[in-house]
Amino acid sequence: MTTAAVLQAVILSLTVAALYAAVAAGLTLTVGVTRIINFAHGEFVMLGAFLTYGLHTRWGVSPWLGMAASGVALGLLSALVYRLFLARVLKQDEHNQLLATLGLSILLLNIAVILWSPDPRVMQAPALMPPLRLGAVTVPGNNVAVALVGLLLFLAMLWIKNHTRYGTQMRFASDDPELALHAGINVDRVFELSFVIGGAAAGVSGGLVALVLYVQPSVGVDLVIRAFAIIALGGLGNIPGALMGAAILALVEGLVSTFVPQGGSWGFGVAFLLLLLVLVVRPSGLFGKQVQA
Amino acid sequence: MNALVLRLGFYAAIAAPFVAVALAEHAFLVQVAIGIAVSAILALAWDILSRTGQVSLGHAAFFGMGGYGSALLTPVLGPVLGWTAGLLLCGAVAVLLGAVTLRLRRLYFTIATLSFSLSIQVFILVTPDLTGGSTGIMPPVLAGGSPPHQLLFITGCLVAAAVVSDVFLGARFRPAFFMIRNNPHLAAASGVPVTRLKILAFAVSGMVAGLAGACYAGLYGYVIPDDVFTTNWNVLPLAVTILGGMDTTLGPVVGAVALRLLEEVARHVVGGVGYQVVYGAVIILFIVGMPAGLVGFARGLLRRRKAPARSDGAKARLAS
Repeated sequence: MTTAAVLQAVILSLTVAALYAAVAAGLTLTVGVTRIINFAHGEFVMLGAFLTYGLHTRWGVSPWLGMAASGVALGLLSALVYRLFLARVLKQDEHNQLLATLGLSILLLNIAVILWSPDPRVMQAPALMPPLRLGAVTVPGNNVAVALVGLLLFLAMLWIKNHTRYGTQMRFASDDPELALHAGINVDRVFELSFVIGGAAAGVSGGLVALVLYVQPSVGVDLVIRAFAIIALGGLGNIPGALMGAAILALVEGLVSTFVPQGGSWGFGVAFLLLLLVLVVRPSGLFGKQVQA
Repeated sequence: MNALVLRLGFYAAIAAPFVAVALAEHAFLVQVAIGIAVSAILALAWDILSRTGQVSLGHAAFFGMGGYGSALLTPVLGPVLGWTAGLLLCGAVAVLLGAVTLRLRRLYFTIATLSFSLSIQVFILVTPDLTGGSTGIMPPVLAGGSPPHQLLFITGCLVAAAVVSDVFLGARFRPAFFMIRNNPHLAAASGVPVTRLKILAFAVSGMVAGLAGACYAGLYGYVIPDDVFTTNWNVLPLAVTILGGMDTTLGPVVGAVALRLLEEVARHVVGGVGYQVVYGAVIILFIVGMPAGLVGFARGLLRRRKAPARSDGAKARLAS
């Protein structure tokens, strides 16, 4: 194995990491605020991918525009889902919340299967950006675009959480919902908002998925499981931690798949073994606040 | 004495429909009943663990290990010892997992169990000589491959799982388990051995889940990793138990029947592809309308009929 091959694998893994980080940043924002393990986040990403794909294939809409449209559409859908369903689940036990979002995920996944069939498809679009040459390594244009938009999305989540009025309210409401309520914060509204922002991020991430992965109904399941691993690695609600977690997961997965003989299907499992070990040593993730259980 | 007769009657009532189907030898119904019994055993395993507040999303790991363990050990040790050793293996691994996840809270615990179930596949794939790798294994077929006899055997396993579940709902464990779930600090301060009981629950849960997997693996004499170590088996016990009713022995059994009936109806109405859309819809309706599950809902109805005047007390308890 040559240095160039290693470098190639590392750089491609890092562009994938940007996609993971984008999915996980939206998720850790909502999970960090509402404490609901939202498995349907993956299906929001999947719907965003189908929307971007459909807009481009049907009407030739540029994927840039498709991404933005997906963000808006999934933000609205999140608001609807929150009002009709999740708001009622917030007060229930943890296992019921878990099953509720799993149910939502199964519902959306199978609606997609019925509407569009389970077959994978590829979006035939010209590369959004020129390829990037780094010495001996060439990064395909779409991977450059994914890395760029993924990082921007990630920074947007960070900015919303740390530098806006809503972000302050979100942090307050997640630390102590009752106290926040007494301080005059509309906690329900803040929760809804965090869902809408997370959903919009999922929609845009879906557009990125359409650029570099197969568009298929099951794409969200794999992504959301990885996103939860990333969140656990980085620490719940910790957005910078999510970026590190994404990089670690993508690198481990990418390197194992590339360099272990017949390791194509191992990467996923090895990454989760690593996560399990990290949690054993640090129960709140690598970068999470260590709180006594 | 009276209580014992009641208990035995309860187990007989659980077993009766399964035995009736086995005796009728209706090929399709026998397959359906086998599927129901296997999911019910797995769901009972999940419920036992959840009573200590440990919400697992990784029971496919024990399900698969039970299947693989019994399949690989039976040719070496014979059926009785082979199954026993296979289940003990599940119990031992469950103790280890229980010990390392003790400190994990809520989301971290759930993710850790999920990660565990996802990484087991790697072990299978790196040990092709021992476990057959991705091509799978051929376990000895249960009961000579006769489905009605298989159903009778699996019904016996279901009753055994129900007895185990009832032991942990009895006076000896129930208060301690529920105290651990509601407030582990208070439980520890009251002298409840929290660590020991949480790990005990894990061991028992892992072994019962392994039993379900051993039954499943013996059905057709052929198992691949993708068959048993899938997220399907992680989600199924959660759905079955919550729809049926948690913290009961009847709940998981009722839930398994209800979910299977639903599946058959959905296959008929929606067709082969995407029929699971009905699962999603029903789960959502249940969580909103019947959060305590079928058994919890029925109990609530009975209680309301018995003592309509005391409903204020119940409300006060809910509010606290």
